[in-house]
Amino acid sequence: MKAKTNPARKDKVKMIFLLILSFLVIATGSLWAFTSIRKGDIGGAISGGIIALIILIFALFVFIRGSKDMKQGHPLEDERSKRVMEKAMSMAFIVTLYLLLGIGWLSEDIIKFRDVSQATGAAIGGMAILFAIFWLYFNKKEI
Amino acid sequence: MKTRIKELRARYNLTQDDLARKVGVRRETIVFLEQGKYNPSLKLAHDVAKVLKTRIEELFSFD
Repeated sequence: MKAKTNPARKDKVKMIFLLILSFLVIATGSLWAFTSIRKGDIGGAISGGIIALIILIFALFVFIRGSKDMKQGHPLEDERSKRVMEKAMSMAFIVTLYLLLGIGWLSEDIIKFRDVSQATGAAIGGMAILFAIFWLYFNKKEI
Repeated sequence: MKTRIKELRARYNLTQDDLARKVGVRRETIVFLEQGKYNPSLKLAHDVAKVLKTRIEELFSFD
């Protein structure tokens, strides 16, 4: 029979994984911003910086909340928080499809993207912002 | 959805934190449950009813 994993240990591993992942994303965003500055691309630097900053704020929020809960003996996530996360993820995904459509349409003459990577960055940043907004919304709403 | 969680919790001198720890959820889940803003799974409803020594149908009502 398979031994049952200790939930507290599982939560600790999850937090470490989340920290590493956040660090990697922040490092990538910062690197993007710095290389853009060196190339003289202010738009790229701003978008890279914004993405890194959003992830940093969100990661800090999740980390502080999680460590506080772990200290008090509560699980990192439960059925409600999972349901909120699922709803926020699915809504962010659906709205991002329209965002991509909008970016594609606007990039023809209104927004001038330097290259594909800048447009992709805008889409990823937009999805991250949308996810944060939907998470905050569903976390307060009756579900 | 209406619940009697707050009333029964007070009867057994349990804080939201105590109840959350006993059923293995976050404290805010208990807050939302008490406000009737969260429809729990059958498992959670069963666990809460068990801790509060009552039955699910006495704990939750849908008018």
